[in-house]
Amino acid sequence: MKKLMVRLLSGEKHQMFRISVFAVVISLIFGAAVLLMIATNPFASYLNLLQGSGLAPKRSYAGMRNMFTDFMSFLDAMTPMIFASLSVMVALKGGLFNIGVSGMMLVSSFCATALVGYSSLSAGIARPLVLIIGIVSGALVGAIIGALKFKFNINEVVSSIMLNYIFMYVLTFFINSYYLDPVSRQSINISDSARLTIIDIKAFGLKFDVPLAFILAILAAFIIRFVMNRTTIGYEIKAVGLSPAAANYAGINIRKNILLTMVVSGALAGLAGVTYYCGYVGSIQPGVVPGLGFNAIAVALLGCSDPIGCILASFLITVISKGSIYMSSQQGVEIELADLITAFILIFSACSGFIKEYTDKVERQLKEKNFNEKKGGAQA
Amino acid sequence: MIDSIIIDGLAFALPMFIMAIGGIFSEKSGITNLAIEGLQGFGAFTGAFAMVILTNAMGTGTQVPYYISFLVAAAGGMIYSMVHVILCIRFKANQVISGVVVNILAMALTSFLTRRLNLMIFGETSNKFILETSVRYDVPVLSEIPFIGAAFKRVYPFEILIVIIAVIAWYVMYRTPYGMHLRACGDNPHAADAAGIDVGRVQMIAIVLSGGLSAIGGMCYAYSISANFSPDIYLGLGYLAIAALIFGNWSILPTLGACLLFGFARSIGHEVIKNLGMPSTYNDLVRTLPYVVTLLLLIFFSKNNRAPRALGEVYFRGKR
Repeated sequence: MKKLMVRLLSGEKHQMFRISVFAVVISLIFGAAVLLMIATNPFASYLNLLQGSGLAPKRSYAGMRNMFTDFMSFLDAMTPMIFASLSVMVALKGGLFNIGVSGMMLVSSFCATALVGYSSLSAGIARPLVLIIGIVSGALVGAIIGALKFKFNINEVVSSIMLNYIFMYVLTFFINSYYLDPVSRQSINISDSARLTIIDIKAFGLKFDVPLAFILAILAAFIIRFVMNRTTIGYEIKAVGLSPAAANYAGINIRKNILLTMVVSGALAGLAGVTYYCGYVGSIQPGVVPGLGFNAIAVALLGCSDPIGCILASFLITVISKGSIYMSSQQGVEIELADLITAFILIFSACSGFIKEYTDKVERQLKEKNFNEKKGGAQA
Repeated sequence: MIDSIIIDGLAFALPMFIMAIGGIFSEKSGITNLAIEGLQGFGAFTGAFAMVILTNAMGTGTQVPYYISFLVAAAGGMIYSMVHVILCIRFKANQVISGVVVNILAMALTSFLTRRLNLMIFGETSNKFILETSVRYDVPVLSEIPFIGAAFKRVYPFEILIVIIAVIAWYVMYRTPYGMHLRACGDNPHAADAAGIDVGRVQMIAIVLSGGLSAIGGMCYAYSISANFSPDIYLGLGYLAIAALIFGNWSILPTLGACLLFGFARSIGHEVIKNLGMPSTYNDLVRTLPYVVTLLLLIFFSKNNRAPRALGEVYFRGKR
């Protein structure tokens, strides 16, 4: 058992990736155990997750829909997740824990909705404007949290949670007072020309959605990877994250870097907000802090704080959350099950540091044992 | 009007106070505890479940299920807090991350279980356990006093329970060997270890205590604010309790002051809206008050704060 674990998980090469996969597999086994306990077939359920995400064919489709349309809708759901997880990841690199992604998402999407969403601007102007407003408003919120951190020594976790709830209630007030659609009990849908997803394109005899910002999300991941690994800015952010005292001693401006980290993280969270509320959904639900901002923490941890890892992890978590709707309708299980599996993944990826140290330790012990045995054999 | 401000303010502040006391125990022992939010929710879940079962079995005539539900809630919170214990102490995970993980798991687990149990036991599809609002008493004699008497009018039984627990908690923290050890672990675990204290054990007990206390707080809110258990219990009140204890400088009496401040900020806001005859949508603005007050106060006071010195540091025996 120990040897198997060492063989699978030790060694430098892609170690964190393998540990993440290990965490996912264990979580899926836990999820399967829960499914078995409530007398549901885990394999069929997991297959439903894939089918709901357009990664496996369903038994039957509605008119003008097939696996491809499901997959496009899946990409649409995955886009904000990538941005949100990148936001958490950048903050983690800088030694900050951004739990305020949800609040930033609400603010950015509300600003974009109120300023552009109901205007009659043409798509060519409206869409870039939505993106820019998202970036700027998200970055501003990030700057507030960063400033509170370095100016007043307020823990970013506490301040961002307070801001989450403040924004949620203030926005609820504004939406309920001015922008409420009385039928759906949500904000009025934004105009199609401002929406970042083109809805219901008819082509090839199909009707599907095109998430315009998906390419942008992938691009953002690669840009962040480049900045983090190849530039001075990235180096300084990481240095401050690893040891503020050492970074200070080396002459790195800590305040500037904390602010910068939070601004970048905020801008990404803002993009997550506009791609979610002004793209995937099209309206804002009042009175709810979006769970996506919290799931993004799971994704960033699972993605080992690496941008490409974040894309892979977003893929996985979106499969679970998106596919769960189909799963719950097919198997008659609670939709909350998806959150439960996500939470399991989160728990095991929180232990990834321990798993790494443990396998390293066991590997060392095994090597020593082998070495001693060889030595003993030579002497005899 | 002043009466209802005091009554509602206390009913909001005291459950928060008991959660904050739990947080103080945990943080004084050196473990950052953001898990309070999840712990209170999980405790409220177990307590509400017990209450629903017991009222079905015993009828609505007695008050016995009401008190048992608090015990069950505390037990549930204590058991669930072991997740935080295992992650922080056994697996040496980052305590902030562990806290957030515990919260997310609590949210997912309780909303899943609530649906499942409702379906299995009562055959309903519902995501809540309906409770009745708690009974309230007027304390005789004391409630007759003008002005401050309001603090003793229409008191929830749990408010008295909380005051008793708070006194005991203060005694344990500052007058017993365990409290001494706990504070030592939070300030200098290596010295504590050298003095023969089992750091991991002290921290574990502190987290479990905080689990139990948070759970009682959550149960109080389930009885007072919402009158049911549903995923809506995760309103961020646990985080507010953390803000209260930071503002209270990690000691019990000033934290009470912070909690009262939040409570009165909220109840004053509600009264103002009600008396000015503003539409009910304005209540959402009032709900931000405790959070806004927290942020502002933290801005002014957090510079003078002295957190326990080893707070949030993972304790490795061999580390220097």
